[in-house]
Amino acid sequence: MIKITTSDRYDITPLRSLMTNIFSLVAGLFVIGIIFLIAGVNPLYAISEIFLGSFGSLYGIKETVTKAIPLILIGAGLTLAFRAKFWNIGAEGQLLMGAIFSTWTGLTFGDHLPSYLIVPLMFFSGFIGGALWGIIPAILKIKYSINEVISTLMLNYICAEFLTMLIVGPWKGSTRFGFPGTDNLPEAAILGVIPGSRIHYSTLILSLICAVILCVVIYRTRFGYETRVVGENPDAGKYAGINFLKTSLILMAISGGLAGFAGVGEIAGIHHYLGYPASVSSGYGFTAIIVAWLAKLNPLYAVFSGLFFAGILVGGDAIQISLGLPAATVEIVNGTLLIFLIMGEYFLNNKISVHVSTKSKG
Amino acid sequence: MALSIIMVDWKDQNIVLSPTNFFTYNMELSMRKKIIVIALFFVFLTGLFSCGQQEEQTDTSKPKEQIAASTQKSDEAAKEQAPAKKLKAGFVYVGPVGDYGWSHAHDQGRKFAEEKFDWLETVIVESVDEADSARIIDRLIQEQKCDVVFTTSFGYMDDTLKAGAKYPDKLFMHCSGFKRSANVGTYFGDLYQMYYLNGIMAGALTQTDKIGYVAAFPIPELVRHIDAYALGIKATNPKAKLNVRWIYAWYGPDKAKEAAQSLIAEGCDALAFTEDTPAVIEVGQEVTEKGKQIYTFSHYSAMQPYGKDSVVSGQLMDWGGMYAKILEDIHTQKWNNEDVWWLTKEKAALLGGSPTDMINPKFVPALKEAMIDSPEFGQISAYDLVMKRYEQMKQGVDVFEPFTGPIADNKGVIRIQAGAKASKEDLLSIMYYVDNVEGDIPQ
Repeated sequence: MIKITTSDRYDITPLRSLMTNIFSLVAGLFVIGIIFLIAGVNPLYAISEIFLGSFGSLYGIKETVTKAIPLILIGAGLTLAFRAKFWNIGAEGQLLMGAIFSTWTGLTFGDHLPSYLIVPLMFFSGFIGGALWGIIPAILKIKYSINEVISTLMLNYICAEFLTMLIVGPWKGSTRFGFPGTDNLPEAAILGVIPGSRIHYSTLILSLICAVILCVVIYRTRFGYETRVVGENPDAGKYAGINFLKTSLILMAISGGLAGFAGVGEIAGIHHYLGYPASVSSGYGFTAIIVAWLAKLNPLYAVFSGLFFAGILVGGDAIQISLGLPAATVEIVNGTLLIFLIMGEYFLNNKISVHVSTKSKG
Repeated sequence: MALSIIMVDWKDQNIVLSPTNFFTYNMELSMRKKIIVIALFFVFLTGLFSCGQQEEQTDTSKPKEQIAASTQKSDEAAKEQAPAKKLKAGFVYVGPVGDYGWSHAHDQGRKFAEEKFDWLETVIVESVDEADSARIIDRLIQEQKCDVVFTTSFGYMDDTLKAGAKYPDKLFMHCSGFKRSANVGTYFGDLYQMYYLNGIMAGALTQTDKIGYVAAFPIPELVRHIDAYALGIKATNPKAKLNVRWIYAWYGPDKAKEAAQSLIAEGCDALAFTEDTPAVIEVGQEVTEKGKQIYTFSHYSAMQPYGKDSVVSGQLMDWGGMYAKILEDIHTQKWNNEDVWWLTKEKAALLGGSPTDMINPKFVPALKEAMIDSPEFGQISAYDLVMKRYEQMKQGVDVFEPFTGPIADNKGVIRIQAGAKASKEDLLSIMYYVDNVEGDIPQ
């Protein structure tokens, strides 16, 4: 007779945490390997193609970094929200709102202001846009007990439709021959890139700074402590006199604001105009949820997990091109890795004991 | 350790918590674990080897382009002549190639060209978000060393143009756009003539004089198709009105379904559409099976199998000839950036909802019975009118152009003067509804 019991684990060391992560990834890759095997390709070749495609060449590295920028920004912001157990699924909408606000700023003032003024102004307005879209669900949750998973998720769609309405309607550019989309941003409002790449370095630097600052905020400030208490022990938080509304508002303003920054980067750094939602962001707000989890809700680790996931996405192109597998394979790879990481989390926090009793054998 | 001893099956009263006892349990357990891990490892390894062997033996698991490349090499070796200059073309698709619409049709065209030319090698990337197109183009050029890249969605336009400036010694062909540069060309195969023919049939068959159109995005291409469809309807049934529903998606089976249902609820009984799935046809078939005949027109691929009682005809696109022509021009260095715009004359736009029947046999008798008084042909059946017009279209737009004046928009303004024909530029920028279309184009 076999009995399986679980208990909380108290001896979580950074090493054990790291090893669990690595083991989860390896186990996940093992299962992905089986999927490749079924599809008729050599799993080792396929997996090495993914990583060579993203980290194995200069082109791959440049593209990986470009794609990591929004993932790091949003992922870092989400770690803060998730620490407070505020399940913000709305980063995609917050990104789009940031893009909308900054496009407005760029198109309105871009012709009259020098680059060193308009760029910070665009980032500022992008932050405001994302933050506004982020605090709506915070108010709904604290004031009216509306589940934030639902409200943040639904606000994504509202924002996407709002954006579509703007570009087919009042914001449709005069240079677009009746096709939806705003005009291009003026030269001054366009972010510089590292020559020969599409890495808009100002957003990259901003994302690193944000990750460091957030790390300090979470671990070294009273607000960070309050965030953790709100998440881990709301009752204790209430007795300690923590203002839930204020804390939630601030943390969602930050989380949404960082997503807004990501929107600014995509518009001013890459596309240079506001088009359909799918042409602004390829689901960064959702991918960043995985990034935040993989980072163990530590904003600094989000830099690495952001790079890792960007690598998988960029390397995913290679799966298609070199192996001739369908595009959906990339999503299967991502989903499988996430499931294994979450399972790893469970085994890290819980001790599993399996015991066989001899008596019952006889 | 201590913790786990305490928690060992505390409910099981029989167990003896002696250190020796516990050690043996654990020993057993870890042995088992090891055995399992080792076994799994071997399974994985054997899997790897068998897979590798399989690949070498059959070659079938390799992607097509690799096979093509290898057969090509052997062909050349056999000839032992100066090898013809090879050309590698990359194709960027917006949807999955299995979408049964736009991307599927392009991929069929690519395959046609690849089989035709032994000097051609192709690679594809599917389901590319418009936000990602610049990266994919870079990869095709830098990593895959493509000589020419075909970008097959309107949304890739700006990225294609930027890529043209970035790689001046490579060629780019953008489908459905209007921006060109020295090394960026545009190409398109347009179906508006087929929509006109579909309109003739819809007008002849409708019982309610209400006809519907499920449309993707309010851009000139779609407006052109809607207007052509409406002009066809007008040719056989001046009383009938066309209603349009915009779904704002190229690929949106759920939205298309809703739009089709709402049009039917409003009394429309003949539906054409622009969306990449057979969703509208499925709705038509469903309602027809329930006893209310709905006439539908298949779009882009042969969708008649999805609605054998509902699909009357449709529009088919054949990109094969066009891709072959463009690639051959590039290969023989005859290419220039002139817009390639192919219609029925060039055999790009074809009539039908299935590869075999231009018109579903089920509806042929009804169409032969419907008589029309045509200014050009006198008393003629709708069926014969479709065939006559199709023949004329095959000869070219000089012989017959659906957009021949007088054409008024639905506000009463004359847009094309009596006797005048719309120029290609007029058609490419058309943004008004003709007079038998209801409502306004979303602004």
